[in-house]
Parts: sequence; C-alpha cells; structure tokens
Amino acid sequence: MTGRPLYVGIDLGTTNSAVAVFDGESTQVVRNAQGSPLTPSVVRIDAKGRVTVGSAARRFLDRDPENTRSEFKRLMGTERPLPFRASGRELTPPELAAEILKALRGDVRDQLGSLPTAAVISVPALFELPQSAATAEAARLAGFDKVELLPEPIASALAAGWTAEHGDGRWLVYDLGGGTFDVSLLETDGGFLRVVGHDGDNFLGGRDVDWAIVDWATAMIEREHGVKIRRDNPEHAAATAQLKHAAEEAKVALSRANEAVLTMPAPLEIAGHGAFDPELVLGRATLEELLAPLVDRSLEVCRRLLADHHTDPGQLARIVFVGGPTVTPLLRARVAQVLGAPVADGLDPMTLVAQGAAIHAATSALDGRGAGPLVRRGARLWLQFPAVCTDLSPHVVGRVVEGGSGPMPERIHLVRDDGGFTSEVTTLDAEHAFVVAVELVSRHANTFTIVAQDAAGAVLAVDPPTVTIVQGMTIGDPPLSRSIGVALASDQVQVYFERGTPLPARRSFTHVTVESVARASADSVLKIPIVQGEHDRAHLCRLVGTLEIPGHAIARTLPAGSDIELTIELDRGGRMSARALVPALDQVFEHVAHLLVPAADTEVLAASLATLRKRVDDLRADAFRRGMAQVLGTLEHAEHELAEVARDLGAALGGNDDAGQRARRNLLEIDAALDEVEQSKQWPELEQRAVRTLTWAGGQIAYLGTDRERALFEDIARAIDGARQERNVRDLQRQLRLANQLGETAWYRDPDTWPALFDAASSRIDAATDLPKAQALVREGRAANGRNDYAELRRITEKLWKLLPHDPSAQRQSYDSGVR
Amino acid sequence: MNAVERWAGNPFFVLELAVTASRAEVERAGQKWLAMLELGLARAAIYTTPLGVRARTPELVRTAMAELRDPERRAGHEPWCLLQEPASVIDPPESTASEGEPGFDAMGPLQWSRR
Repeated sequence: MTGRPLYVGIDLGTTNSAVAVFDGESTQVVRNAQGSPLTPSVVRIDAKGRVTVGSAARRFLDRDPENTRSEFKRLMGTERPLPFRASGRELTPPELAAEILKALRGDVRDQLGSLPTAAVISVPALFELPQSAATAEAARLAGFDKVELLPEPIASALAAGWTAEHGDGRWLVYDLGGGTFDVSLLETDGGFLRVVGHDGDNFLGGRDVDWAIVDWATAMIEREHGVKIRRDNPEHAAATAQLKHAAEEAKVALSRANEAVLTMPAPLEIAGHGAFDPELVLGRATLEELLAPLVDRSLEVCRRLLADHHTDPGQLARIVFVGGPTVTPLLRARVAQVLGAPVADGLDPMTLVAQGAAIHAATSALDGRGAGPLVRRGARLWLQFPAVCTDLSPHVVGRVVEGGSGPMPERIHLVRDDGGFTSEVTTLDAEHAFVVAVELVSRHANTFTIVAQDAAGAVLAVDPPTVTIVQGMTIGDPPLSRSIGVALASDQVQVYFERGTPLPARRSFTHVTVESVARASADSVLKIPIVQGEHDRAHLCRLVGTLEIPGHAIARTLPAGSDIELTIELDRGGRMSARALVPALDQVFEHVAHLLVPAADTEVLAASLATLRKRVDDLRADAFRRGMAQVLGTLEHAEHELAEVARDLGAALGGNDDAGQRARRNLLEIDAALDEVEQSKQWPELEQRAVRTLTWAGGQIAYLGTDRERALFEDIARAIDGARQERNVRDLQRQLRLANQLGETAWYRDPDTWPALFDAASSRIDAATDLPKAQALVREGRAANGRNDYAELRRITEKLWKLLPHDPSAQRQSYDSGVR
Repeated sequence: MNAVERWAGNPFFVLELAVTASRAEVERAGQKWLAMLELGLARAAIYTTPLGVRARTPELVRTAMAELRDPERRAGHEPWCLLQEPASVIDPPESTASEGEPGFDAMGPLQWSRR
C-alpha cells in the first residue's frame, strides 16, 4: 500500500448520487464518465438484460418507465422487488442501489486508478434500522468489504466545518432534499464541532416544488385545452410523469433565466382527447409564488429548532445550504433575509454530503485502498491513534505483539517528519505497551516515525514504521437517531439505547419468558420484538426486528419464567445485531427476523387515513370543549399533513410505490403525534401521579435512604418540577420512573417489605404459569418468613413474580412479545 | 440502571478527569482510554469511584465523552463529581415486581396500607 490514503464518501441520494475522496488534507469530488459530479440514481435494464445507470438511464425514464427505475431509495428496507418487463428480471431496492454504488466505485477507479474496498455512505437522519441494513447490504453487493453509514446532516456539517475558516459560534445547516427537509444547529467551540440539535419535516422537499409546478401546469392545460389531468388517475400516469420531468427542468432553468418553457419530449396523450402539445411558459414571479409557502414552512421548522435551543436567529454565524433545491436563488435569498444570517460561500450544496462522508471515512480509518501486500520487518506493533483529530496533542497508544527475530524494544519515541517535534522517550511497561503524547501541525497530515530502541540503546526496526494523523475538525461518534428497545409483554418498552447514544454501542439485559416454548413444535415460538421510537408503549414504536426462539431449534422445552440474557449491539452506522443466551438450554440465538419495512398496501393506507381523519375531528371537538389552544395548533398541523398523505395515496393508487411508502411512514408519524395529544389530555392524571410518587418515594428515602440517595432524590425532584412546568409528558414520565427506582432501593431495605411483597405475590398464584412450582415456592417462602430469613424470602418472591401471568391483550398489542 | 449506579458512571470518574477539564482534555482522555481498551491493557480496564472500583468499557467511555461535549449535560454531572462521601451499601433487587409504577404496584392492594 503506497501513496496517499484513499478515503471514499458516497451520497446515495434519492434523485442523484455523488462520490468524493479525501486524501488526508483536502476533498475532491469524483466526476463520472460524462464529466458530471452527479450521477442520477436511475437504473435501466433493456430486453437483452444490459444494465445502464445514471444519466444514460435517466433519458428513458419517461419513454420506457417499465424498464427504468428511479427513487428506489425510498423503498429501501422493503422486500418488494421491482420488475423490468423487457428482460423479465426483478431487482430488490438494495440490488438497484448496488448498481449505482458499483458505477460510483468504477468512477473512482477510472479517475484515481484504485477500486475502493471501503467507504462511508450517508443515510437520512431518520432512516429506520431496516433501511440502514438495506443500505449496508447494497454496499456489500457493490463489492465494498467495509462500509460505515453516516447521517446526512452530520456529513454536511463535517464538510462545512472542515473548510471553515470562521471562529467559534453557532450555525445552521439547511438541507432541503427531494422529499424531506432537515435542519441542524451546530456549534464550533475551540475547533470542536458539535451537533446542538436537529429538526425536520418529512413532508417537505424539492419535489413539493415540482408538484406545485405540475399543479400549476395542469390548471393551465385545463383552462386552455379543456383537458383535466388527474394525478390519481392511473390512465394519466404517463402524462403526469412527463409534466413532472418538465417541471424539474424548468425549475433548474429558472435559477439562471427569468422564464422557462416546460418542454415535453413527446405530445401528451390523454384518453378521449388524443395527443396534444401544450405550450407552457413559467416565469420567475410565478415560481416565487409557488415557492413561498414551502419556504415559509421550512422557516417555521428553523425557528422552532432555534427556540428549542435558546438561540436567536441573529446569533447565527452563518447558514450552510445543502441539497439540489437550495440552488434556487429565490430560496437562498428568502431564507437568508428572514433569518438575518450570512450564507456560507464556496460550498457546493450538491456534493457537500459526499465530501463530509469522505472526511468521516478518514476519521474511521477506512482507507479504501484495502490491505497491501504483507511485508513485515522487525517487531510488530499494534497501534491505536486517531486518524483525524481536532486535538493538537493526541496520544499514540501501542503494544508490541510480536518481537520478530531480533531483541524486543525497550523504549519508544516518535519523531515528526518535518523535524519540528520529538516526543518524550517512553519505556514499555509489563504488557509491552506504551502511551506517547504527540504534537500536531494544524490542518495538516502529520507523519511520525516510530523510533524503537533495545536496552542498549540500539535502534530496532518496527512494523509499521510510521503513523499519520490528520489535524482538522472532527465530530464525535455518530448519535443514534431514535431510541431502541425491546417490546415487553406488558406493552412497555425496555429501552436499551436512548436517542443520542453515541455509536457503536452494546447493552445487555436479562428478561424472563412469559410463556413456555414446546420442543419440536412447529407452532411454538418465543418472540422478542425490537422496537424503535420514543414512546413508552411498545405498540406506538416501530417494529424493526424480531429475535425468535422457535420450538424446532431448542434442545428441550423451555418453561415460562426462564431467563433470557439479551444483548443488542449497534455499529457506527446504526446497524443492529442481537444475541439471546438462554442459560436453561445453554443455547444462543442470533437470527433477527423480519428486519423489513412493512409493505404499503393502498387499501390499508386508505383505511388508516380515514381513521386518523376521524381521530383528528374527535380530538378537535374535545380540545374546543376543554379550551386547549395549543392542542388545536397541533391538530391543524396534523390535518395539513393528512392532506399531503392523501395526495401521496392518490399517487400510490396511480402505481407509485415510492409515494405509498412515504404515505405509510407519514401516517405513523401523524398517529404518534395524535397519541401525544391524547397523552397531554391525561396531564391532570399525570400530575396527580407526580404528587403520589414524590410523596411515596420521598417518604421511603427520608426514612430508609442514605445521604447519597437523599441528595439524588432532591436532584430528581427538581427535574420533576422542571418537567411539570414545561408540561413535558415524556420527561415527566422518565423522571417519575427514576424517583420510583430510588424510592424502591430504599424501600427494599425495610425488613417488613419482603414479607408483604411475598404475601401479595402468594395471593395471586392461582393464575401462575406453573402452579406446582409456584405452590412449592410459597411453601419455601413461608418457611423462610418463619425464620426471618429475609434474603431467602426476597429470592423466593422474585422467583414467584416470574411465574405470575401477563395480560394477553397487552401482549398481542406489543407485537406478541414473549418476554418481560 | 438505578440512580446510584448512574452516579458511579459519572463521566469525570470514567475519564479520570477533574471537573475543570477543558473540551480538548475530554477528547484527549477519551481517545486515550478507547485506544488502551482496544489494546486490552489492564490499567484501562477499571476506574475508581467513591462507590468502589468499576469496570471501564468502550461504551462507557464514548457515553462519557458525549455527555461532557454538551455543556448543559456536563453541568449536570459536575456537582456529583465533587461529592466524595464514603460508599453507601446499595443492593438493588434482581427485578422489580411490576413494570407499571414500581413501588406503588409492587404490592398490589397493600400499597399504602402498610405505612
């Protein structure tokens, strides 16, 4: 492996994709064979099975839609294959994405002479686990050995931060993609970059502008030709697609000209009206009118984010624009004017994400050149150091793992290749390890020679002989976008990772089975559903995978009340793996099933839409009765979003799968928002619970707690007050749980507690899942109680709890979870 | 994790830093501990708290770094780092009796009648 490193970053976009490389000091956007930095995310397969990608395929999008596919990124994570009629082939969304990635990989080879084996691929901030898994699968199919996924806002922030010469301060990344809007508030402090907060609107994107132009065009056509083109009419799908394509081109043309003609490649064909060629001229003023409500919606999200983080728009050091639609001068001017902050110059909104991903590849030491030929010389060192870091004085930590043929090194020091720095000489410890502090030159790739010496001071050869550390802006570990946990049979969630947890992460908990699994039974299966979301109730979160323990795979029947030690692990890209150890069977289960986004059936979507509309009406009537003005605002917003869903549903009925998936996702979001409205109705009840909890836990801690617990309780009580003042339902619920846990810790010290808990559990054993075992435990417990053996009584009571029944209706709701 | 265990996981203890540590020192210490853990060095495997010795893991170090990067969350950890009382005996139960409202629900109908 020679020359400069090859760090590859890929923006796998809905409409266009881009690839950039970073060599340790600067980024370079790789151009494709057509000389463009952007490759349309379009795949075509002709009758002979030949695959074409990019702009060559895009030309066929209107002419040959049955053999040309685009916007499949929105279908990532679904199992639905997309047919190519002429060749008879069917490709899944990851297979289609792999074709794009292969093309980009080839472009890197053509331009830089090396076919990359590793890359960082950006994904939307709110991608669900199945979608991330599908993206990683696409990378594998494209021939990448190693891949990391990075949220798009973090990638663009990193690229903008890397090139920034500005001082400390807060800034905004305004990212308007084809179908979504993301905004991130960032802070630079002493060279360190931090994501302060993130917000967005899944219903807002450049495509909304395109559709607004299409609606304007169809209105003009109806007025001038008397032809009504409907987006939800499958017979008008080809005409609609032509208009949409023309709208996209006109929008781009208007960033340079004052007016643009909507040019169709062929006359529009409408059943009953024949073919006709409308003449449509779109002016800048009309586009501005169409654009204004959409930009205002995005500004509303920006203001909300700034308010959440106590930042005045005037305090912003700059705004960074990301995404194709932000190229529109009208949009940039309006955003800058309303927020009153300067726009960062010199950044390409179309390739910023790919550049950030490439920089992140360096941070993760993902050198795309792969492993070179193995040439070993001298003692082998296992080294750990940051490939890229902000700190000017990082550590190089190492360990001699193989002495080679000569003597073992005794002392080590590092010399910077420019001669400007030599580290202290460090003596290797008993583990043959060393920790050396080095000093970096700012914004450079710093190479250090490792000088190893034996006891006599003779210099020894070591492998590797050098280390290189790039100094520049970095960002912390990527944060998890949504909390992940296990759905319990009670419909509650055992949270494994809270939102914001730095990745990678791993956690283990012990669960208890609520039903038995019969050995060799085909029907008997224990399900451990893994969910993602911020809700207390499992059924409100999204099912992202199920770990199953089937009857046919177990060594013997597993009784209810058995322990399951579950470990969930997330890598830096948010990909999940789970492992369940069943001590009673001495078996491990690792297969996570159904890691897929559910299909978007249009009938189901239509029914859900009708249900949610009725729910909005009911909640509005109730809110009027109670005079809850804040709730009315939320409901108005939900109603607006439901109208958007109805539009997507119309497009889905016209055969657009992508619109169907968007509708499904957004219905879930609206459902969750309405749940929050309902929760807020229960605020008085929650307040009562807060009073009860504070009184109960406070009493236990005052009576039985330690000084430390009393101090902790005061802290939690303050947090409860804060959540009550802000009327923050989720935070209040979380703080109340903490207060209860603390109260319980004290309460369990009371010698009277366990006899009482034992009595309570004994009174319910008629319903136990294993009655003979429960009866035996009750006998043991009585004996333990009789001799005042509270430790034993506690052990028995805990066993009894595991045998007590669960609520079947809650279990059904909770994705049939078999654990608690 | 109960509240006391959360205290034992105070980021300043995990990273072996004083509350006055700068942002750069936080990154430097985190990077060093992660590197040492990756190499399996024994001296990185544990850290000391007023509650006794605890195991240091890469997850704990990453979480500690993330906590101290955020000024608001960092401020919440600083007072706890300064408290140096002797360890109290904490013995949390293996599992709670109820998943609903612990403490209240655990005893079912008995709840308040006992106290």
